[in-house]
Amino acid sequence: MRRYKTSYPISWRFMDVLEAAFALVLPRGGGRLTPYLLLTPAVLLVGTLAVGLLYIGDSSLRVLDRSTFLFSDYWTLENYQRAFSESFTATIIWRSLAGAVIVTAVTLLLAFPYAYVMVRTSSALLRKFLLVALFLPFFIGQVVRAYGWLIILGNQGIVNDALALVGVEPLRLLFNYPAVLFGLVQYMLPFGVLMLAPALTAIPEDIEAAATSLGANWVRALFHVVLPMARPGLIGAGVVVLTLSLTDFAMPAILGGGSQDFVANAIYDQFFRTSDQGFGASLTLILIAVGSMTVGLVFAVFGAGTLALGANRK
Amino acid sequence: MNRSPTQTIVFWSVAILCVVALSAPTLVVLGASFTAGNIIDFPPDGFSLKWYVAILGERDLQQAFLRSVIVACICVAVSVPTGTLAGIALSKYQVKWAGALQIYLLLPFTVPLIGSGIGLMLLFGELRILGSLWPIGIATAVINLPFMIWAVSSSAASLDPDLELAAQSCGAGPLQTFFNVTLPAVTPGVITGALLMFILSLNEFLVSLLLVDARIVTLPVQIYNSIRAIITPDLAAVSVVFIAVAALAIIILDRIVGLEVFLKSK
Repeated sequence: MRRYKTSYPISWRFMDVLEAAFALVLPRGGGRLTPYLLLTPAVLLVGTLAVGLLYIGDSSLRVLDRSTFLFSDYWTLENYQRAFSESFTATIIWRSLAGAVIVTAVTLLLAFPYAYVMVRTSSALLRKFLLVALFLPFFIGQVVRAYGWLIILGNQGIVNDALALVGVEPLRLLFNYPAVLFGLVQYMLPFGVLMLAPALTAIPEDIEAAATSLGANWVRALFHVVLPMARPGLIGAGVVVLTLSLTDFAMPAILGGGSQDFVANAIYDQFFRTSDQGFGASLTLILIAVGSMTVGLVFAVFGAGTLALGANRK
Repeated sequence: MNRSPTQTIVFWSVAILCVVALSAPTLVVLGASFTAGNIIDFPPDGFSLKWYVAILGERDLQQAFLRSVIVACICVAVSVPTGTLAGIALSKYQVKWAGALQIYLLLPFTVPLIGSGIGLMLLFGELRILGSLWPIGIATAVINLPFMIWAVSSSAASLDPDLELAAQSCGAGPLQTFFNVTLPAVTPGVITGALLMFILSLNEFLVSLLLVDARIVTLPVQIYNSIRAIITPDLAAVSVVFIAVAALAIIILDRIVGLEVFLKSK
């Protein structure tokens, strides 16, 4: 018995103590409760967000008294009535929605060929290069990227300096709607490509080969074979790009220079410039509703695509 | 497979255009940080490291960077254990109301960032914890949590449950099984997720902007505040920090799981 004990390492004993303590707290390792116990921290963490939404809902129902700068202690729908009656709300929602739709269309148009050549190229080195070109901007963040665009497109920026060398008058390339949309497309490209690529990987190359060997040219093969098969991926990518650009703040703020506000910028202004928390909160909920309805519309028309309850697709 | 030359030309032209558009801001910021001039100019006024020397003397930029790193570390410390356990639970066990639970856990993605940021700002304001850094770390953990769960659950799906049964039938307790069998199997996912969480938290701008006050601005907010005034090359030099961190993260990610994992269909 003594020899057995000396050959029993200290780390095992430590583990035994831990196991014993664990068994004391949770008999049979939690049994059928195990998955719920494992999920508890995540549920609590996301709970902060859920509670935050309740606070937004509460604020949106309280109206600001402009003489005392206090919020009403009763609930009213005044903020929503104001939001729906002022033309300002319609303008920014329309600008954001139209922008998001254009950005989504252009992003998918650019992301599809990118994802296609990345998935199909036979050169591992090229594939790696295309992946790095995607991940680098994705990992750098919006502000630094927008800063780069300011240097390139500004009045004294690279493009205008280069144009001046050949005698062209400086162009106003920034602080307009196209600049914001351009910045958004560049921001969304990595999301679009990374959502599309797995869908393209799943399409066997033989099917395309079959189509072309049966006489379809590449355009027909693309429209009748590849695009229909890639549809779930296109919908998934489209919905992600649509919602992210609809609710973006940084690009309209930096590349739009305050003149091209999206809904998120208007919400920020209500909270931090006008200090009308109630109206800002009602705009936030309206934005969430517009976003959800748009996604719902896409799902109703095209199906849920790859986003059909994503977290653990098998 | 023989592909039509027209298709190759069209697709590759678009891809090259995308590569240019994707890399242009990064390259320009890199280039601008090495300028010898006092403004950002093209063609550049020669090469110098003076703006890097300059940021060594700018305490507010350095402190902002340090704060961003602290926020990112808190985010990783909170989200990695949380997301790992949730990812394992969702992929290994039959959970009741799994559908509803998934919708709930995807809330951080379905609620727009401005909504999450404002909601957390109101909640944290009510709890009187605005004005410190750790709530920002928690906030970035919440809004990016689905990435962590996704990374872990996709590598847990490949774990053979028989391995855990084998460990248990050899006498391992639940903790030993977890640490010696389950956790090593999901390690690639945990590392991928942790890297994503660190980078996304380090770069997080909007939620930071909503939760900081003037004393605790993080680096993205600091850069945002400064570019609204005058674009000076010292900002380019400090932005290179982000580029360097991003490049490092890509190298690590490629070494550990390979970037190609993102092309696989699930």
